[in-house]
Amino acid sequence: MSEQKHEESVPFYPDHLALEAKVALGVGILVVIIGIIGLFIPVGVGAPADPMDTPAHIKPEWYFLSLYQLLRFIPKTLGATAPVVAVLLIMVWPFLDRKPDQTTKTRQIRFWFSLVAVIIIIALTIWGEVS
Amino acid sequence: MKTVYRTILFTLISVILIAISAAVVHAYTAPVPASAVRAEGVTQPLTDSPEPEKDTCIQCHVDGSFTNIWTPFLRWITFGAAGAALLFGVARSASVWNTRTAWVPIPKRITSWLDDRYQLSEILEPILSKPVPDWQRRWYYCLGGLTFFLFLVQGATGIMLAFYYKPTPAEAYASIQFIENEVMLGSAVRMIHHWSANGMIVMACAHMLRVFIMGAYKPPRELNWVSGVLLLVMTLAFGFTGYLLPWDQRAYWATTVGTEIAGSIPVIGQLAFIFLRAGWNITSLTLTRFFGLHVLILPLITLGTMLAHFLMVRKQGIMKPL
Repeated sequence: MSEQKHEESVPFYPDHLALEAKVALGVGILVVIIGIIGLFIPVGVGAPADPMDTPAHIKPEWYFLSLYQLLRFIPKTLGATAPVVAVLLIMVWPFLDRKPDQTTKTRQIRFWFSLVAVIIIIALTIWGEVS
Repeated sequence: MKTVYRTILFTLISVILIAISAAVVHAYTAPVPASAVRAEGVTQPLTDSPEPEKDTCIQCHVDGSFTNIWTPFLRWITFGAAGAALLFGVARSASVWNTRTAWVPIPKRITSWLDDRYQLSEILEPILSKPVPDWQRRWYYCLGGLTFFLFLVQGATGIMLAFYYKPTPAEAYASIQFIENEVMLGSAVRMIHHWSANGMIVMACAHMLRVFIMGAYKPPRELNWVSGVLLLVMTLAFGFTGYLLPWDQRAYWATTVGTEIAGSIPVIGQLAFIFLRAGWNITSLTLTRFFGLHVLILPLITLGTMLAHFLMVRKQGIMKPL
């Protein structure tokens, strides 16, 4: 792209690669710290699986908890179909919304839409966690 | 030619010196030699030397708990490194003395050797010298890269866990306990695998939100978005299949409920249910199926999709926001 030559830039090697290496190093240190914590406070396992003994409260991992919480209020078929339809809709979204951004207004609309969606998901997750 | 002989002589002398010093230290620090081991049935020698102690812990030789720090392994590393440094010094000095030219560093020699044969710089030059505009050097552009970094962490720790994990209902739980309690650094590796999995999902979602808000999914980048959504689904599938593997109550019943919910999808639900459980109930077949999906199928699909994802970004570049 010709217009990019005029703007401020750094070469990928070594300047930008050094920045990426620093980020990777930072996250790597975080990972090692998590590992050291794991030496003293392991993840642990619960009671061994027993197909004869259904526990009172069954909860999935947190990333499925919002869907699970949703299932309490809507019919099971709808609740199971909704995420599949949602994923398919998200997947074909670029073929539906094809117009290039003319102003920053559309970006703001998407931002607020995402914010509301994320808040709803987080709220459902917290609700599922405490209930 | 004289200098060549001198180089060889120096090298021989240094090797002999290293060998002698290693032998001396070995003689003073090594445990009782195993030369006293007797074959069964052979009559005992007259000397009343004590019975050699049976070595119960092979691994202790490596980790240093058997004879303190001077285990054979560490000794090899120490003397090997010292010897290599000395040899390198001798070779470098001799080369500079011989040729009367500045020393070319070894990495440079290796790269030029490879470059002569395969012209790697022709391929790498446009990649490495590509200018990165300042607007791309923002924190929110590294979310996807961090997801990939965490995927690599997951791969490395997952392989380590797979060495000790046993995917059968009878042994899965015990093998997790073994990893947590017996395996060296096992609990650390499992902790990293656990939290890095959570982090990967957070990062993937954050990356997706960034792309969505900025509108980077719009033409011509539709397929990149599609592959990204596939990768997110794959990440969640990793989470779902990996969750059953410890075979504890939480895992078992979460999978029971999860597969039941998948089974209530119209039309394809029944098929998905049977496919996931490998039957009507959660059995050892379910566990091996989830294990196979988790460690073989999903990583392969994810790697392939990731490759496509990255190549498309490479080709099209990052979308410039307004």
